[in-house]
Amino acid sequence: MSRPNAPLVPTAWATIGPFFPNTFFREGDNDLTRMAPDAPPTAQGAPMWLTGRVLQEGGGPCVNAVLEAWQADAAGRFRHPRDPDWQQADPGFHGWGRAWTDAEGRFAFRTIIPGAYRDATGPRAPHINLAIIGSGIMGRLATTIFLPAFAEANAADPVLASLPEALRPLLVAQPDGLAEDGAPRFSLDLLLRGDAATETPFFED
Amino acid sequence: MQHPDRFDPLDPATQPVVPIPGYPNTQRRNPARAPFRRVLTRTELTGPLDLSQKLRPGDDNLAMLAPGRAAQGQLIHVGGRVLDEDGRPVAGAIVELWQANAGGRYFHPIDQRDAPLDPNFIGNGRTRSDAQGRYGFFTIKPGAYPVPDSGRWWRPPHIHISVLGPGSLMRLVTQMYFPGDPLNGLDRILNSVPDLAARARCIAASVLPTEIAGDWLGYTHDLVLRGRHATPPL
Ligand SMILES: [Fe+2]
Repeated sequence: MSRPNAPLVPTAWATIGPFFPNTFFREGDNDLTRMAPDAPPTAQGAPMWLTGRVLQEGGGPCVNAVLEAWQADAAGRFRHPRDPDWQQADPGFHGWGRAWTDAEGRFAFRTIIPGAYRDATGPRAPHINLAIIGSGIMGRLATTIFLPAFAEANAADPVLASLPEALRPLLVAQPDGLAEDGAPRFSLDLLLRGDAATETPFFED
Repeated sequence: MQHPDRFDPLDPATQPVVPIPGYPNTQRRNPARAPFRRVLTRTELTGPLDLSQKLRPGDDNLAMLAPGRAAQGQLIHVGGRVLDEDGRPVAGAIVELWQANAGGRYFHPIDQRDAPLDPNFIGNGRTRSDAQGRYGFFTIKPGAYPVPDSGRWWRPPHIHISVLGPGSLMRLVTQMYFPGDPLNGLDRILNSVPDLAARARCIAASVLPTEIAGDWLGYTHDLVLRGRHATPPL
């Protein structure tokens, strides 16, 4: 067997720099339950918001950071052929969204509570994948956010369990009241650089 | 379409090293702790198959804001292919591009430098790669600009490119440079990539004028996303 071409090396990353166009964003981009920014929400499942702040060394806000979210639907399926059940995935759930941080470093995503599922590593707790890019960030800072209502599943999640126990709470968003639309809000801060006890754990891609 | 299912770790020599002198945010915004290892499973291997409803393409001419409103500067075409590591075309990838105007200034509220704005140039666009992985933009050649408080560091003319392929691990944000610019060898972002060949691949190739028809000076630049196929095709 031969490959159609000699393997290529992935292009070098670079920062988005300070001038990532704000015109790239449209209202609704941060809503994973809409198939298009101007379409109505069509996802099955219980709506929720994931909000928080992106902070830099010293705890100040990381302004104009871009966050990209990706998660499973309410039944724990991804609409992508790498999920064996992808054809049963909710056709009304997009699963991807993009947000950017304001002057206080705040971001918000509207989504549905993701479903749990089982994969080759074991039982996966409901989770939301986040990647952060921004000026000075030279790659994708990838992490995974968990929800407090699933304490038992979180304890059994192989990715969360790969962290030292003391760091695991840093990836569990906390209840933060209700949003204007009545959906529960879960919140957490992402500290890009800090001391070993408070810096957000990031994962190798 | 086949989707890559094998994502080898990036070779660190082919990726930027931080911090970068004169760019304090490369210190403040990159973790002190090494990233944790995890097994890559479907949550990382998947990603949105088609983002064109969310990130709408169709905005691939930056040089012409409206009929009769041409931007200042050298008209250029930048194009190439979006490929995976096996050299297969990545169709349907969203390619976003943004850049400074010919005077080296961004149309962005936080760029308050004393260089002219061009009323006919915004400087960002979005397109989608075709079935052969091809993408292309009509634009103008951006100017160089100095980085404030950096000790006389000038960014060479460059174009920012963001690519979203059908999988989270295929994500790429990069910068494209122009061949032969004397500032390339001094640029701290380009030079933060240790491997010389990887650095050189960030520089576009000129299309010879003998091969070009029309008003656009051509540059080609291929973009290689992560991802291989564990089972090669027969
Ligand atoms: Fe730039």
